[in-house]
Amino acid sequence: MPEGKFCNRTPVNTQEALEALLADKGGKQYYEEMEQLDVDVPKLAAALKNTCKSRTQTWLDMCAHCGLCADSCFLYLVNNRDPKQVPAYKIQSTLGEMVKMKGDVSNEFMRHAMEVAWSQCTCCNRCGQYCPYGIDMGVMFGYLRGLLYSQGFVPWELKIGAGMHRVFKAQMNVTDEDWTETCDWMAEEAQDEWPGLEIPIDKENADIMYTVNAREPKHYPEDISEAAILFHVAGENWTVPSSGWEQTSLSMFAGDWEACTMQVKHVYAAVERLNPKRCVGTECGHAHRATVIEGPYWAGRPDGLPPRPYMHYVEWLAEALRLGKIKIDPEKRIKQLVTLQDSCNYIRNYGLKDITREIVSYIVEPGYFVEMSPNKEHNFCCGGGGGFNGIGRFRKQRNRALMTKRDQILATGAKLVIAPCHNCWDAIRDLEEEFKIGIKWSFLKPLIVSMMIVPEHLKPQEEE
Amino acid sequence: MYQIITGPLLWLTFLVFVGGLAWRVYSYIKGLNWKLDRVAYGTQTAYGVRGAVRSIVAWIVPFGSQGWKVKPIFTIMFFVFHIGIVVTPLFLLGHAVILNSRFGINWPTLPMVVADTLTVAMLCAGLFILVRRIALPEVRIITSLYDYTLLLITVAPFFTGFMAVHQLGGDYKFWLYAHILTGELMLLAVPFTKLFHVVGFFLSRGQLGMDYGIKRGGMKGTNMAW
Repeated sequence: MPEGKFCNRTPVNTQEALEALLADKGGKQYYEEMEQLDVDVPKLAAALKNTCKSRTQTWLDMCAHCGLCADSCFLYLVNNRDPKQVPAYKIQSTLGEMVKMKGDVSNEFMRHAMEVAWSQCTCCNRCGQYCPYGIDMGVMFGYLRGLLYSQGFVPWELKIGAGMHRVFKAQMNVTDEDWTETCDWMAEEAQDEWPGLEIPIDKENADIMYTVNAREPKHYPEDISEAAILFHVAGENWTVPSSGWEQTSLSMFAGDWEACTMQVKHVYAAVERLNPKRCVGTECGHAHRATVIEGPYWAGRPDGLPPRPYMHYVEWLAEALRLGKIKIDPEKRIKQLVTLQDSCNYIRNYGLKDITREIVSYIVEPGYFVEMSPNKEHNFCCGGGGGFNGIGRFRKQRNRALMTKRDQILATGAKLVIAPCHNCWDAIRDLEEEFKIGIKWSFLKPLIVSMMIVPEHLKPQEEE
Repeated sequence: MYQIITGPLLWLTFLVFVGGLAWRVYSYIKGLNWKLDRVAYGTQTAYGVRGAVRSIVAWIVPFGSQGWKVKPIFTIMFFVFHIGIVVTPLFLLGHAVILNSRFGINWPTLPMVVADTLTVAMLCAGLFILVRRIALPEVRIITSLYDYTLLLITVAPFFTGFMAVHQLGGDYKFWLYAHILTGELMLLAVPFTKLFHVVGFFLSRGQLGMDYGIKRGGMKGTNMAW
């Protein structure tokens, strides 16, 4: 069979197609069809010829097979040092083989490559740090994912995720109306306690344009109200766009570069339209990666920068605490052992290691903060990065992967984990569910809301 | 025979070695693509160069990077091997004598005892690297015949050279010719095999350094702790 009804080389571009694919529960028919899906060899060969240039080719050709990458990979370590989990092996036996064969590979090869690309690498980029040549296999797996996606070999959930971005310009079926209604609802709810609080939509020339992860309006609307409360207390002149509010990109996990481009351009269009001084994104790692780190390149911006300075939430929060726009009640500082999860996407890959620790210095009583080991840019992935959290087919492998973070957390002795990243937050929640180690985990926003000093003039006035 | 292998063949070897590596450098840089690589090489060059230098220095200095620190024995073997390969032939008395007699150049040399120590240490490190390849499952799985061949090509000129210098193994002429030929073979192999890392290391490590120096934190003022 050349192409299946669900499993094929055509991205999901319409709501009908999206709903049909969603109706195929767990991707049962989808994966059955995948076993018959032909490889379009000329297309794959052409893609390799056009995109496998000197950097990638050199990485593949020059690898000295020294094996120093092995210990850098948490998936190798957590899987009993299985040699098949050595990063160099994983990439050489998939992308390396594909390049060597000039794309002339079989269906079976592609299905195996899919499994490796999405269940044996979270694109955490740690191996590149430990390779003497700087061979970044996370980057190469990202590239391989793109090639696999273009041939239809992609996990069911991520085909849907990329389709969501194409149809809804969001990773979930949240429309712009749903979004603005949620904002209005959250503002209204908060106003009892926070008189004068607003979630200004489409305000031009504000100081800050705020963008989120679609999960927030869909499942965690309180996150939006917490963000609003903190901007309100800090006295920020801020706004959210009615369209272009979604900062994440499951298409990045899927390797759907076209959808990545569409998504990030949509956000940048909102920036240009509203003309804020700067932008702030929510506590999410991959959203930051997609919109701020990789996004400028997908959007074709030669300076590699977004149209306005674009901060991760932790940068804004550290600034607000530093400048005293938000003050922490010393009595309410955290007085239990607490640790911090370094998200690969903005710590290793964006250098914010000191910023998150600055926040910790304001909110944790001295002596109670315990670092994980390893930490900062050397930290291990939460276990669910790169889309791993969301793929049912690889749930068993993902749960195994969580053991690394479990053991890191246990070693700290902390019962509270600050996880300013949606993906890490999920992984830590899941590891608690799976292994019951008795920890709590939290984003920064709810912690700050519960610890800050509320200025008198912002408190509700007692009725006379 | 001696005239040919130390005359035209040697010159040809040097030509291929230098020309081949120059081609490697040129084609690597030419093939970098800011959009595909998602690194703004052209517009944020100062940040990039800074990142490249930091990245290269961290890895060219023994124990300069976390990667070296966590593997102390391998790191020592690695540097002994590479320093032996680069330093010994460049400053060997026997080589300097040829330079002087042919071109009248006064080239600095190492005392023989130092050269001998470097050579023997390098050969031992080579043996260690070989045994490591076989012994460690995580290295064995990625090792192919190609890797063993390259190791052999690399150590051959040092082994034969040592035999010739110390007139071991009987037939001096045999070891001398074997030394010259294996030396030429190694130099010829460099541009065409993964031995091209003599320039490739700087290019590739530099490239990732640029990536971090520009996109992944460098422009935020954060120094990657390699």
